[in-house]
Amino acid sequence: MNKDYTESFSIAFLDVMPQLGITDVQLKGETECGHLIRSPGVVVVIGITGDLHGNVYFTMQESCANSIASTMMGGMEVLQFDEMVQSAVSELSNMLAATACTNLSEKGIGADISTPTLIHGDFTADASLKQASCLEMLVGENLFGIYLSLETK
Amino acid sequence: MTKFETDNFQYDKNPSTKIIEKAGMNVKEIKIVVVDDSPFSVAMLTNILISRGFVVAGSANSLEEAVEAVTTLKPDIVTMDMTMPGADGIECTKAIRAVCPHLKVIIVSSMMDDEIVHRAQKARISGYVQKPVDEEELCLLIQRIMSDDELFLQLDGLYYNAFREALADTFNKFFKSVPDFQEKQTTREEQVSRGMSVVMGIIGKYGGRMILDMSEEAAENIAKFLLKKEEVTKDQIVNVMGEISNIVAGNACSLLNKSNSLFGLRVAPPTIVYGECIKISKTVLDTVSSAKAETDFGEVYFNVGFNRGVN
Repeated sequence: MNKDYTESFSIAFLDVMPQLGITDVQLKGETECGHLIRSPGVVVVIGITGDLHGNVYFTMQESCANSIASTMMGGMEVLQFDEMVQSAVSELSNMLAATACTNLSEKGIGADISTPTLIHGDFTADASLKQASCLEMLVGENLFGIYLSLETK
Repeated sequence: MTKFETDNFQYDKNPSTKIIEKAGMNVKEIKIVVVDDSPFSVAMLTNILISRGFVVAGSANSLEEAVEAVTTLKPDIVTMDMTMPGADGIECTKAIRAVCPHLKVIIVSSMMDDEIVHRAQKARISGYVQKPVDEEELCLLIQRIMSDDELFLQLDGLYYNAFREALADTFNKFFKSVPDFQEKQTTREEQVSRGMSVVMGIIGKYGGRMILDMSEEAAENIAKFLLKKEEVTKDQIVNVMGEISNIVAGNACSLLNKSNSLFGLRVAPPTIVYGECIKISKTVLDTVSSAKAETDFGEVYFNVGFNRGVN
């Protein structure tokens, strides 16, 4: 995967999360993977088009979504993966993708995003493009995946 | 320095020209709240806006007052100063968006550098005007922002039929039969998938997404029919579902772009989701429409929605 793409997304994550009060974040690693994404519980899909074309997938377990949402809402107690959490995680995904696109535009790469779709449960998501890159991010102990299924137009 | 008394500025408190008429558009008054810590600036902006026929519903000179004004007055647009006691214009924008998420904000500030513009873009500010304010520039900006709103209403009136037509047409061409659509729904409930769901992001003047959902059995039968095979693999089913969704969403967006090229809609590649349990979250979209349809292969469900937030 193009280094500009992966960098824009990992930097967006490392920039945006602390702004929301989530400071313990890091990039654990980057792997190339196929087009099948196994849901760990929650997957948010955002479409991208412009100079590049594809989708980005943000994946996490429900417990990770709950803990992120709790911090985003000023430490409010979150007991279950409810509508409030889903809305917060959708908004977070939107912010991450939008910030990544701003980062890309600074490198001269134009990209626009669709609205996020949050899917949860036990399923597999099949991205249309053959290869994806997975950025394994850590939020505390929790794994937060950013799958980039993108091609240059 | 002369102290400016707001009352010294004469402005018509009951403007007779409350209504802005724009060619071909609905007659609608545009309600504005002015946020600025300087009474002079409030009076200047109020004068300009009222003389141009806008309704200035109120003003605020701090973050707290701005939140209160927006909550009670429900304006269409807020003009926002960058510097205020205790909070800057971007922080203030974030605070008022917490109570009114899609409120349009114009930054009106004497400071205008790359950093401010960059932060303003990130905060989804609709526009910025530098002080001293050029009357013409400000009014044109407001009218442009409001006509964006009219454009969204136009899309809102068109998109459901465009997607329904595209789905009917695709089925007709492939299977020589038209789906029997049930009534259109506009509720925002969580959806439990029938077994296989395709998600397609839509990008353009307004962002959105389409979901096409059916049972795995229905998807398998469609694939068998189209590939003219007794047995099909999972990969083939997934490919057929992706391609059908691509055609439906692509055709629907083309129809919409033909009716108004300003929509500029394009689709991202399909994501096909299958498994034991698929729940699609209740959306945060501004408009959403869905319908079930009976087909020769079983029930098909489509759900389309868009957000007003301009990309």
